[in-house]
Amino acid sequence: MEPIVPPFVPVIVAALLLPFLGRKAGHALAAVLTGAVVPYVWLVDAGAHFTEFNLFGFETVIFNVDPFSTLMGLIFAFIGAVGVLYSYYSEAAPIQTAFALSYVASSLGAVFGGDWLTLIFFWELMAVTSTLLVWHYGGKAVRAGFRYAVLHGIGGTLFLGAVIWHFAETGTFLFASVPGGPETAGLAGSVAPVLAALGVGVNVGFVGLHAWLPDTYPRPHIAASVFLCVYTTKTGVYGMYRVFPQDGNVAVAYMGGIMAVFGATMALFQNDMRRLLSYHIQSQVGYMIAGVGIGSALAQAGAFAHVFNHILYKGLLFMTAGVVVYRTGEESLKKLGGLAREMPITAGAFTVAALSIAGFPGFNGFVSKGIVISASHYDFVKGPIHVGEFYTLELLLLIGGVGTFMSFIKFGYYAFFHGEYDGDVKDANRGQSVAMVLVAALCVYYGVFDGALFGLLPFDVTDEAVVSHVYHTYTVPHVIEGVALAVLGLVGFALVKKPLSGLGKVPDVDSLYNPGTLYGTRTLVVAVTELYARVDDAAVALAKRSVRTVKNPDAAIARVTGREQVTTKAGIDRSLLLVLAVLVAALALLLT
Amino acid sequence: MSSLPALLVAAPLLGSVLALLAGLVRSKTGWPVALVTAAVQVVGAGVLASRAFDSTVSYVVGGFTAPFGIELVVDGLSATIALLVAVVSLAVLAYSRAAGPRTNAFYAVYLLLVAGLTGMSITGDVFNMYVFLEITGLAAYALVASGEGGRSARAALKYLIVGTIGASLFLLGIGYAFIATGTLNMADLSTQLAAVGYTEPLVQAAFALLVVGLFVKVAVFPLHAWQPDAYAGSPDSVSALISALVSTVAAYALIRIVFTVFTVEFLQANPAARSLLVAGAVVSIVFGSVLAVSQTEIKRMLAYSSVSQFGLVVGAIAVANETALIGATIHLVGHAVMKGGLFLTAGLIATATGARTVDEYEGLIQRHPLGAGVFGLLALAMVGVPPAVGFVGKWYIALGAVEASAWPLAVVILLSTLLTLAYFARILERMFFRDASEEPRSSERPAASDGGVAVDGVSVGMIGVVVAAALAAVVLGTLAFEYGQLLEPTVQALLS
Repeated sequence: MEPIVPPFVPVIVAALLLPFLGRKAGHALAAVLTGAVVPYVWLVDAGAHFTEFNLFGFETVIFNVDPFSTLMGLIFAFIGAVGVLYSYYSEAAPIQTAFALSYVASSLGAVFGGDWLTLIFFWELMAVTSTLLVWHYGGKAVRAGFRYAVLHGIGGTLFLGAVIWHFAETGTFLFASVPGGPETAGLAGSVAPVLAALGVGVNVGFVGLHAWLPDTYPRPHIAASVFLCVYTTKTGVYGMYRVFPQDGNVAVAYMGGIMAVFGATMALFQNDMRRLLSYHIQSQVGYMIAGVGIGSALAQAGAFAHVFNHILYKGLLFMTAGVVVYRTGEESLKKLGGLAREMPITAGAFTVAALSIAGFPGFNGFVSKGIVISASHYDFVKGPIHVGEFYTLELLLLIGGVGTFMSFIKFGYYAFFHGEYDGDVKDANRGQSVAMVLVAALCVYYGVFDGALFGLLPFDVTDEAVVSHVYHTYTVPHVIEGVALAVLGLVGFALVKKPLSGLGKVPDVDSLYNPGTLYGTRTLVVAVTELYARVDDAAVALAKRSVRTVKNPDAAIARVTGREQVTTKAGIDRSLLLVLAVLVAALALLLT
Repeated sequence: MSSLPALLVAAPLLGSVLALLAGLVRSKTGWPVALVTAAVQVVGAGVLASRAFDSTVSYVVGGFTAPFGIELVVDGLSATIALLVAVVSLAVLAYSRAAGPRTNAFYAVYLLLVAGLTGMSITGDVFNMYVFLEITGLAAYALVASGEGGRSARAALKYLIVGTIGASLFLLGIGYAFIATGTLNMADLSTQLAAVGYTEPLVQAAFALLVVGLFVKVAVFPLHAWQPDAYAGSPDSVSALISALVSTVAAYALIRIVFTVFTVEFLQANPAARSLLVAGAVVSIVFGSVLAVSQTEIKRMLAYSSVSQFGLVVGAIAVANETALIGATIHLVGHAVMKGGLFLTAGLIATATGARTVDEYEGLIQRHPLGAGVFGLLALAMVGVPPAVGFVGKWYIALGAVEASAWPLAVVILLSTLLTLAYFARILERMFFRDASEEPRSSERPAASDGGVAVDGVSVGMIGVVVAAALAAVVLGTLAFEYGQLLEPTVQALLS
């Protein structure tokens, strides 16, 4: 199919129209337009389109279709449409959905950009629109949104610096795959990739740069969270792939492994449902980042398969958590319990999503996580620690898997199965149910029919010519591995349940750097003010002295020389002496 | 009119003799003779300038062809200076009619000075240049001495001794060059010197002697000692004339000697030669300004200001690129107009109000608004406020220094604007923002001012000429960029 418009256009049109069409019609149109992007990006021809469109006077490609972009576009548009449906039935304001759609549109723009400039342009736009989405909710979301904006501003600037560095090295913004692009893919030079890794690292939640994630995502409207959990971090993974397209990066891969463990562990300590889920975003994105960092065809395929699956089940999880909040008004797991009986559809959807994210056989997470773990075994260095056949990164990813099981057992146990809920709670309404069941069905579908998922991936993981090690989802050891993780998770949860319930709030890095930032800024402000005062004093004093000197120069000279009177006139004799002296000096200067 | 260059020198000489002779018949007839001569001079210089910018005009004196005979060479630069000399001398005449001195002897010497200056500007022979330098010098000493009272006599004596030493050094330099090459023609000298070798001690010594000799004439710090006394001690008309022209033509001679005789290659071969020029420039700019700030008498302050401004020109010579030399020429012309105007205005103010010191200028705007206004305008032009000509000259020189990456010099040149502001701001503040602290002096006749000029009050000619100077300072500024382009071929030839 010939390209008609870049895929973000229908979405941005929907976003612009939505506030004016009324709630119902607006959401309907938005869902249709966003949904229409799914077949559009699936059918559109691969390659660079609209190359004559120049952004800021530089040669750019606003619509570039390759397998990576297509996969991102498909799932982004799909979950966008589902999100609109969910928003409508969750009583989101039209303007909020409009913000959400502008955020979706900028993400689509970013993943379909064929050059760094387009990518960074939409990247920054995404930070702006997502901040607006958070801010719209007001209350506590405003401060969180501010912190979010600051951190993403820093990240975006680092990435921008990397892109400019790249431009200075190569003279073009284009990707290597685009006609006219440079010879090697990725960012040129030695500094640019480091800057970019840090800048993108903010978006994907590198450990230490991740605090915005659990800080921001639990605060806004429940429907907004569904959108937020999808786009920023996944666009980050896509961006990381663009930065390291060939052979990955060992440090990034290990960072992915650490994120997987750290996120799952921190999630275990949380009681706020959406906060727990936010840590799991970090943990799951860790698998993707590990895949990108490993850099082989198998690993990249796994990373993007995981992106695809993760968007499905994480969207679903936020939807179920949203429904619980929507119906009960409670955010904390401590105040919930026994909801399975009251909300069977929600509980069912949650179970599917939880088993998917934890990677239980038969669900989509099992398939894609398996690919990444397999790549970490076959395509990656052994690393410093290895137990039997398990290598360092592989171990990290597996431990992350156990942690994931534990925290979702916790979530499910406390929300749905533990005790009884006092009072009457209705289940999800019809629209929410439709959205959840649809996504849940896909989670199972891609888990059972793994071939359908493989068909979407940029590399065929079942073809020996493409990947180093052919991947089979359902082999006996692999299934045993999946079940073993689940069992370990169950046992682990049983062991830590008691101590965990006694545990208060566990501090994260933000408890360190929020005050750090506050006092740092204060110190800076005070220092600057004081410095200014000093400089001002000095300038005034200098000006006064200059004026005094100019007004009464003889006195000034007398002060400096310590004499009462100074004569500055030279008589005839002294004049001649001076002429002679200068002549001698000049001759000496020239003749030596 | 192929003998126009020769006539340009001959006319004021003739006028000078005429003025002297006319005095025998009837006293106070010098002024009309001088006026006619100066007017003829302006026309002649104008015609010459209109030709010289197209192609260099040369004239062989007495049929002895160069390099053996004396040659007059007029290019764009010489024509500019010759025209400047003619115009300024005519303008000062307009002032001196009322302000005096009025003796025929004065005008005879006046025209002799014009002849000397014109000769220096257009000669193409170094010894001939020395002759004109001496004529200029002697005329200037006599003019300074024309004031009444001991002060001007003493100043003239100092000027005479120091100036003669300077001229003698110049002559000595010519002698060295002659010994080295056997020629006196500038164009010939430049090729012969190259043949002898730029690093020969003889050539280097010649350069040092010539430059130091001219430094005395230009009044580069610390060889300036004659200059404040001379400017301050002479009658107002004389201070204006010599401040506008004598050092200017000496600076022109320096440009000729450095670039036509010794050429840029000499500077490149002798970094020390350039250092000498840079040192002279920097020291002059800084100390000239500092000394100007410390003066109490207006005319002395203006004199020290000249030391500083000529530092800029010497700096441009040291930079030795096209932009800087165009800047130097513009600044020479601009400085002549502005400084001459300032001296005349100072004289006008002194005539009208008796104010001759910085303190006496307090509240001048109320007592003599015209004088204060013109003085203020010229002072601001001197500081280098756009679009006045003072700005354009400094701008080109600074630009040239930056182009040549002569950073220390560039910094000092930019600093010079601030320094200039320092001494003028002091006067501007007193003139415009203070009330006269003492009883008005306008009624009080200035008791035999130091120049000893018989004061008859302010004439229309005096007012006209200072206003014209102020207007010229601004108008020239707007024309200066075009003039710079006009001068480009000349400067390129000078540097090649």
